[in-house]
Amino acid sequence: MVDDVFDEVGLKVENLHASYGAVEVLRGLDFEVPAKNVSVILGANGAGKTTTLRAICNMCNTSGTVTLGDRDISRTGTAEIVRQGMVHVPQGRGTFPELSTMDNLMVGAYTRKDNEIKDDVDRWFEIFPVLGERSSQMAGSLSGGEQQMLAVARALMARPRLLLLDEPSLGLAPLIIEDLFDRFITLNKETGLTMLIVEQNANLALDMADYAYVIESGEIALHGTSDQLKNDPAVQEAYLGA
Amino acid sequence: MSAPLVVVAKNSAEHKRWQYVQWAYVAGFVLLTPLVLQPFEIGKMNRALIMGVAILAVNLVVGFNGMLALGHSAFMGIGAFVTASLVQDENWDYWMIVPVVLIVGFLIGVVVGLPALRVKGLYLALVTIAQAAVFPSLVNIDELGIAARTGGPNGKGVSEEVIAPSYWEWLPGVDGARGGSAYRYWVIVLMVAITILLVTNYLRSRAGRAVLAIRDNEAGAAVYGVNLPIVKTMNFAISASIGSLAGLMWCMDKGFVAGQDFTFLLAVDLIIGLVLGGVGAIQGGLVGGLFVVWVNDLTKRISIPLGLYTLNGDGPLAKAIFGLILILFTFFAPGGIVSLGRIIVNKLIKVVPLTPAGQPIEPLSNFDPGMESTRADVAMKMSIAGPVLLAVGWLLMNVNNLLVGVLAFGLRMGILVLAPVAMLVGSNELAAHADGNRPDSAKGPATMARTLGALGFLFVIGYAVQRFVLTY
Amino acid sequence: MTWNFDILPDFIFNGLSLGAIYGTVALALVLIFKATTLINFATGELAMLGAFLVYVLHMEQGLWLWLSMLIAMALSAGLGILIERSLTRPFDPSDHLPVVLITLGLFLILNAVAGDIWNYQVRILSNPFGKFPSWVPSVGGDRFIEVFGSRLKYQSIGIWVTLALALFILGLILNKTKAGLAFRAVSSNVESARLVGVHTGRTLGFGWAIASAFGTLGAVLVAPQLGGVNPNMMATILIYALAGAALGGLDSLGGAVLGGILVGLIQAVLVTWGGVVVFGQLYMSILQLAAAFVIILITLLFRPSGLFGTRRVERV
Repeated sequence: MVDDVFDEVGLKVENLHASYGAVEVLRGLDFEVPAKNVSVILGANGAGKTTTLRAICNMCNTSGTVTLGDRDISRTGTAEIVRQGMVHVPQGRGTFPELSTMDNLMVGAYTRKDNEIKDDVDRWFEIFPVLGERSSQMAGSLSGGEQQMLAVARALMARPRLLLLDEPSLGLAPLIIEDLFDRFITLNKETGLTMLIVEQNANLALDMADYAYVIESGEIALHGTSDQLKNDPAVQEAYLGA
Repeated sequence: MSAPLVVVAKNSAEHKRWQYVQWAYVAGFVLLTPLVLQPFEIGKMNRALIMGVAILAVNLVVGFNGMLALGHSAFMGIGAFVTASLVQDENWDYWMIVPVVLIVGFLIGVVVGLPALRVKGLYLALVTIAQAAVFPSLVNIDELGIAARTGGPNGKGVSEEVIAPSYWEWLPGVDGARGGSAYRYWVIVLMVAITILLVTNYLRSRAGRAVLAIRDNEAGAAVYGVNLPIVKTMNFAISASIGSLAGLMWCMDKGFVAGQDFTFLLAVDLIIGLVLGGVGAIQGGLVGGLFVVWVNDLTKRISIPLGLYTLNGDGPLAKAIFGLILILFTFFAPGGIVSLGRIIVNKLIKVVPLTPAGQPIEPLSNFDPGMESTRADVAMKMSIAGPVLLAVGWLLMNVNNLLVGVLAFGLRMGILVLAPVAMLVGSNELAAHADGNRPDSAKGPATMARTLGALGFLFVIGYAVQRFVLTY
Repeated sequence: MTWNFDILPDFIFNGLSLGAIYGTVALALVLIFKATTLINFATGELAMLGAFLVYVLHMEQGLWLWLSMLIAMALSAGLGILIERSLTRPFDPSDHLPVVLITLGLFLILNAVAGDIWNYQVRILSNPFGKFPSWVPSVGGDRFIEVFGSRLKYQSIGIWVTLALALFILGLILNKTKAGLAFRAVSSNVESARLVGVHTGRTLGFGWAIASAFGTLGAVLVAPQLGGVNPNMMATILIYALAGAALGGLDSLGGAVLGGILVGLIQAVLVTWGGVVVFGQLYMSILQLAAAFVIILITLLFRPSGLFGTRRVERV
């Protein structure tokens, strides 16, 4: 349908280290996010999931190689990475509370210079109608679910080729989470947008994803297709509550 | 010099010896000041010490609590005016005023600090900067008899001079031409010492630890039950009372106070002294105070020769230098002179901590078998450099030029450090050689360093004694 | 000490025009505070330098006053960008001390440079609103019109119109341009702004530029009331502007302007109350300056976020 909007791209991470001060949080991660797929990173609190996404975007002290498509972005600044086609929706949504919903979306398109921005706004208002209804409201006054949609829509405004989502389910009611994840799947199916999602809710994440990684203490402990992981007894015990 | 010149075990006899050297410098400096300097120079030293106390007060808030206080000039002013009024109008003795000034400063500190410290952010900076800007004009208010007490725009003089009672006349420098300023010097030194002692103990106390915890991790401190607004406000109030005490010392030393002395520029001087000396270092205040007074003085003397605009000797040069210092230190030496000094000392001497069993945690180089040592050579060069610098300095003294004069003074001072260090390192290396840990080639330089260093050290002591004897 | 109601309108007019100037400088403070939570203590000296630029261009070089003002504002904006890039960007903005020290250092250096060049003397700068232009029909006189039996000076009207115009342009820049949108985004959430591709450093530089230009505008407008320009001209103005910013809310642009105007009014009322009549002159009475301090204290005591502050001020 709108496949042409997003190019085909994958992400490759090699030997990624990250540290806060003297504490090393990531100890040499290697993984790949295949193009047009949804991949998830699972792990317990403090395993380094959020740091992985931050490290990919160069938001903390890192070393290692990150390749987006065929381009090495390990030394590219956070703001510049957006221009390479990868957008990060941070944990806790990171909307601009003092800006209107519309302005939030417009900032999302900050890196673009084309004249189709208005069309894109209309498109995301179609997919997330509630945002359209609240387009002039301050983002800070939206509910948690609406803010999460806004954060995703804002990220999509940049026409990313790859979307990083950090715990999109955090703090949302179960029904809203299901609705949200349905929309993610639709988005991926319709546009072929590559996604890397960090999630604690393993059931949900494995249902949605094509491929999954499990992080423990800053290292990849397990990986495989989501079906493989779902049937892995260790994963069942530790993450699926079986 | 990659390896430190001296490596000692913590608390060993050798370590103690080096600590004595350090204290000898401090004691020599304190003792020689009233003997060597002219009365007006002692006055400057007094002013530097007073600034040092005020900077210590600022440091308590900025350096140890992580809050921004930019208006301590007002607290100094309050202390100074309370003192002037009580001495002149009520005939109080200075020592009776000390508790009054401390309490008044504390209360005003609470009034100013509490509203600002209840909320997060730069609000204390905002309030204190306004306080500093407002204070000089508050002094002139006619209502409530304020101007009558403060002398208004004319300032207030204290007619009673501080003179040494007969039983204190044995203090170095007090007997003779420089008696007045030298006596005030000793009183101020005593007050500085007591203040530093009290502040050090306060910072080690339960309350002090809470203050430091807030600086290091505010949220963490709150989680552990530290009442943030109260602890911050108490700390600020204590700082304010120390600032007021500096004001009392100011009034006692100068015998005259005016609103114009306590403007925002004084507050800025305190901040500069803090940054120069070292944010978060107790000694930083004294070092910073010395430098602020010295730079102010120097710029007054060189502004006109440099062709800069001045009015009554005051010109923009001091401000420009201080502004540059602020920016340069913030960029390149955020720890101030104290941390720069520590870096140099760490290159010179390394103190190896002990294990619980009392053994050094790493081998001391003194006992490293067969270690190739260049220390003896370095010490020998130092022992030679001392007298050479002294001689060059003496020759340059005859050139009648201010900048050369300052340079000459600095060069002559070199021997103060070089000679004793060369002597101690030389004897250390000889001991190591006797233990068989040094090649024979080290023996000659080490002997020379010890001998020449000892001669230089004797010369320094002789000079001090001569000064001491001359004044009596 | 009695109320003198006859002259009250005069003082209210005066207070409103002085307040407008405080508001302009407060705006310069708040623009930087909003984006970085820092108080730029060099705001006043940057503005003073801008006013001296106008002095040089207009009084010495003979350029048209308004053109000189535009050039000076542009130059101050450039200086603001330069300062942001070279002096403040290397530091972690969440650690306040270094950047405050840098702005204090700038305060000293700029003051010293101006002091060495212009010798701390008051130099006359033409009043942009000295006399009504000839095309305005005369109502009352060539410097004022009569309102409520009091004199509303051309200067006051001129200041209000200029400020209104400047605010309108600022509103356009912030709400209608991409750079303005980016600035609002950075002010709201720095990390998210970076995540959507906004270059935060450049955007903060943009904030410094606008702030410096506004400061210069304020300094030029206040100069005639101080008798001219001099290196220390902004010292008291900055304190009032700080009070205005605190009263209005340190993170509210509209609040800064309104807070500044309120401070001007309070000052005017205090003058009337104190019975101090120095008509037509900015008179820095003792009580007035203390009022700035008291306003800050009372604001913090009862409403730390200020009258119009939007962001939650965190209680500690």
